[in-house]
Amino acid sequence: MPANWGYVIAAYGIAAVALFGYWRHLARRARAVAARPAAKGRRA
Amino acid sequence: MSYARRAWIILWKDFLVERRSKEQLNALLFFCLLLLFLFQFALGPDRERLAAALPGLLWLGFILAGLLGLGRSFLAERENDCWEGLRLSPGDKSAIYVGKLAGNCVLMAVVEIILVVLFGVFYDVDLWTPAAPLALVLAIGTVGLAAVGTLFAAMTTHVRARELLFPVLLLPVQVPVLLATVSATQALLLGQPLADVAHWLKLLVGADLVYVTIGLLTFEFVLEA
Amino acid sequence: MTITRILGWLAAIGLIAGLAAGFGYAPREAIQGNVQRIMYLHVPSVLTSYLAFGLVLIGSIAYLATRRAGWDRLAGAAGELGVLFTGLTIVTGSIWGKPTWGTWWTWDARLTSTAVLFCVYVGYLLLRSLIEDPDARGRYAAVVGVLGAVNIPIVHFSVKWWRALHQPSTILGPEPSPIDPAIGLALFVNWIAFTLLFVYFLSRRMEIARREEQM
Repeated sequence: MPANWGYVIAAYGIAAVALFGYWRHLARRARAVAARPAAKGRRA
Repeated sequence: MSYARRAWIILWKDFLVERRSKEQLNALLFFCLLLLFLFQFALGPDRERLAAALPGLLWLGFILAGLLGLGRSFLAERENDCWEGLRLSPGDKSAIYVGKLAGNCVLMAVVEIILVVLFGVFYDVDLWTPAAPLALVLAIGTVGLAAVGTLFAAMTTHVRARELLFPVLLLPVQVPVLLATVSATQALLLGQPLADVAHWLKLLVGADLVYVTIGLLTFEFVLEA
Repeated sequence: MTITRILGWLAAIGLIAGLAAGFGYAPREAIQGNVQRIMYLHVPSVLTSYLAFGLVLIGSIAYLATRRAGWDRLAGAAGELGVLFTGLTIVTGSIWGKPTWGTWWTWDARLTSTAVLFCVYVGYLLLRSLIEDPDARGRYAAVVGVLGAVNIPIVHFSVKWWRALHQPSTILGPEPSPIDPAIGLALFVNWIAFTLLFVYFLSRRMEIARREEQM
């Protein structure tokens, strides 16, 4: 059975990119929402 | 006014509108003819290959025609500002769903009969011998397609990119119906008895019950402004 | 420190523990070799996606029943995460499949069902993105959410019987049997880690949705 580390690294790499990317996406969105003027007021 | 009467009024209204203008039905039927040519040209002159693919092509035809026909279920109400009228009508709103569903089933039935006849003629396939069990499979499968199609048509009527969203929402949900009907149709066209496809029929009936029930329960939520 | 940040740190710790368990503690599997370690991503991903879609169903029904925006925020956030983790499931499964089955993709029952699930919920997210009015968005998304969830067993059976027509031979499952307890433990640790990560993401995503609605 060949070592096949390439596949393992590819899978973990893609997972890392996807999960880390989503985390960064959330962080960016959170910053955007916080930066908007809070004076707009609450929805009824 | 009774529930059944309100459903019937919706069905009758749509029938009258269609009978006067005939625009939708004619275009849809012509579309079926074009599909016939499309499939022939896509698969080439090999008769065996076409015959082997026939059950799938038949249902692809139904689904493509269905996407066009079903997606427009509520277009008349939207274009003529009748949506408010539907919303404000008294009583259980699901009666409207039943009326629209019945209308769509009739529409699909006409389309399917035409397509089956065209297939039989142009592709030289014997669809007469298994006609009765085939009709059963078609009927049960169509209810499933129309049940979800009517619900999603109402939903997407007011949404942007309606023509894109409707197929995108409908097709994944219809995968089981497609798998079941094509498998059952294939078995019937190979001459197998109806008993052989009983499990597919049970799946389809079960799915139909689920889809119609959800349609009945959730239609009022879709109908709100 | 807010609960969300605590969750974030717990998730990070969990993921590191999962990596350690998957590569340090668990042995190299006898038949599949190192490729089996991809299962420490694949199995937790699919379990997490089931959790996500379960929450979509609960949020959808609760929103239709109560019309409280919080339920719709739950459904939307869970739907987004469900698509993320289902996508991850499919990709990791495919990468595992190439050296194991010799092909990137096969239309076996499980892969096909997962692909259909993915498509249903991508449509769900698309619908949500196209409607601005929060009430209409919540209602319509809830209807699709309920239908999509209820359809899952129907899809499962139809695909299973469909495959039985074409391939009576059994397909290797992702888990080796019997399961070596060390591998089982590593799977468990990674599953906990993914669940913690999911809850962390869910918490943050719902908070963002809440803030955005206040605008």
